[in-house]
Amino acid sequence: MHDVAPRQIEFTHRQSAHCESGVAANLLTHNGLEVSEAMAFGIGGGIFFGYLPFIRLNGLPLITYRAAAGRILKKIASISGVSMRTIKFSNKQKAMAELDAVLAEGVPVGLQTGVFWLPYFPRALRFHFNAHNLVVYGKEDDAYLISDPVFPMVVRCPAADLERARFASGALAPKGKMYFIEKVPSQLDFEPYIRSSIQSVCKMMLASPFPLIGIKGIHFLARRLEKWPDRLGNENAALHLGQVVRMQEEIGTGGGGFRFMYGAFLQESAHLMGEPLLDDCAKTLTQAGDAWRAFAVMAARICKERPQKGDSYEAMTSQMHQCGKLEEEVFQNLQEIVRQ
Amino acid sequence: MVQEINEPDINGGLTTVSYAVNEQDQFELVSGHSWQPVNVANHKAWLEIEKKVAAAKKEIAAGRKSCLHYYMTANQMDCGLLAGYTKQSRLMVRLHLSPLIFKRLSRPTLTKYAELFKVTIEDLQNGILREAVYRH
Repeated sequence: MHDVAPRQIEFTHRQSAHCESGVAANLLTHNGLEVSEAMAFGIGGGIFFGYLPFIRLNGLPLITYRAAAGRILKKIASISGVSMRTIKFSNKQKAMAELDAVLAEGVPVGLQTGVFWLPYFPRALRFHFNAHNLVVYGKEDDAYLISDPVFPMVVRCPAADLERARFASGALAPKGKMYFIEKVPSQLDFEPYIRSSIQSVCKMMLASPFPLIGIKGIHFLARRLEKWPDRLGNENAALHLGQVVRMQEEIGTGGGGFRFMYGAFLQESAHLMGEPLLDDCAKTLTQAGDAWRAFAVMAARICKERPQKGDSYEAMTSQMHQCGKLEEEVFQNLQEIVRQ
Repeated sequence: MVQEINEPDINGGLTTVSYAVNEQDQFELVSGHSWQPVNVANHKAWLEIEKKVAAAKKEIAAGRKSCLHYYMTANQMDCGLLAGYTKQSRLMVRLHLSPLIFKRLSRPTLTKYAELFKVTIEDLQNGILREAVYRH
C-alpha cells in the first residue's frame, strides 16, 4: 500500500512528571547531552508562584506554580553551544508539511499543543489547556508516533487530530509551534547555568514588584481564600478551591505544585557542585511541598463536603501562610548560596 | 486522611510519575496513580460542566437557544473560544445561539460548526444533540 517506508527515528522515551521539562530533557539526551528532567526544569527556571485572577480558566482564576509556558525551553535554547530552532505557523498545511520534512531528516520534533483535541489523553483531563508539549518521532500510515513525556509509553495520534491540537485556539494558543535541536555541546559545565537560574528564580519569588507573584502572591492568595465563602458562596468557593488543588497537583506537576521536582533539581545540583547547603534547601523545599499537600488534602475534604474537625477556610489560610513562610526561607537561603 | 473519599482515577488507570523522597532522603521518580485529592477536585470540575450542559439542554428544549449552545457548552467553550475556532466575531457566535438566526445559517457556516464538533450538518439542522468531541 505504501511506496515510502514508514519513517521512524530511534528515540528514547523517558516518562517525566512535567511535559515541558520532560521534552527538553528527552530532546537534549537524544542529541547526546544527557540531562535529567529535574535538571532541565531547574536550569529552565521552572518554579514560580502566581495568583492571576484576571486570567480565567473555565471561569476560574489562574493559579500557577510554574513559570510561563515556554520559559524552560527558551532558557535551554539559550545555553551556549545549544542551537534550537523554533517555528510558528499561520498556515496549517505548511505546519504539517514542515513537521514531515524535519522528521524525514531524522530529527525528532517538539510541538506545543492543546490537550483538548488529543484523542489519546484520558477523558477527564481533556480541558482547553494549550501549553502542552510532546515529541513527534515518526509517522506511520496517517498517524504520528509520539513520545508524550507524561505518558508511560509512546502513543499514536491521527494526523488530523494532531493538526487540530497544534492549532488550538484560546489562551496560550500554540499557533503550530514546533521546535527541534540542531546542535548541542558534547559536554557542558552546568554550574554557571545552575547559579544563574537559581538567581533569577529567587528574584521572581522574593523581589517581584507585583503583590500577586512569588511569596507575596502566596500570602495574598491565602488572605483571599479566607473570604471566598462570604464573597462567592459555599458552592463557588469550593470550585475555586478545587481549581487551586488541580493547578497544584494535576498531571504534569510532579506533586506539591512542582516543589518536589525543584527539590530534586537542588539535590542533583548539590552533588554536581559539591555544595551541601543546596541539600538543606532541598529539605526545606520538601517541607514546603508537604505543606502544600496538607493544604490540598484539607481542601479536598471541604470540596467533597466531608470536613473533619479543624477543617475550615481559616485553617487553610494559615496552612497556606505556612507554605509561604517555608518557601521564603528556601529562596532566601538559595540567594545567599548562589551569591557566594 | 482521605481514605473514605474514593473518586475514580482521573488518569483512567494510566500511571504517571511524580517526585518523592526515599529512605535515604533522596528524591526519586515514582510511578503511581493519580492522587486522591486531585481526583476529588477534578471530579468537582466535571460535575460543574455537566450541570452547565444540563442547563443548556433545558434552554434548547424550551426553544430559547439553538443547539449550538449545547455543542459549545458540552465542548467546554464560550462564545470567545468558539469565535476563535470558527474565525468569526464573538457577536456572530452570540447571534447564532438564537434559534431563529441559527435556522437561517448558510451551509458554509454550518460546515464550520459541524467540522469543529465532529457532527454532520444534518445533526445541526435537526437539532440532534450528539456527544462532545472528547467522548467520541
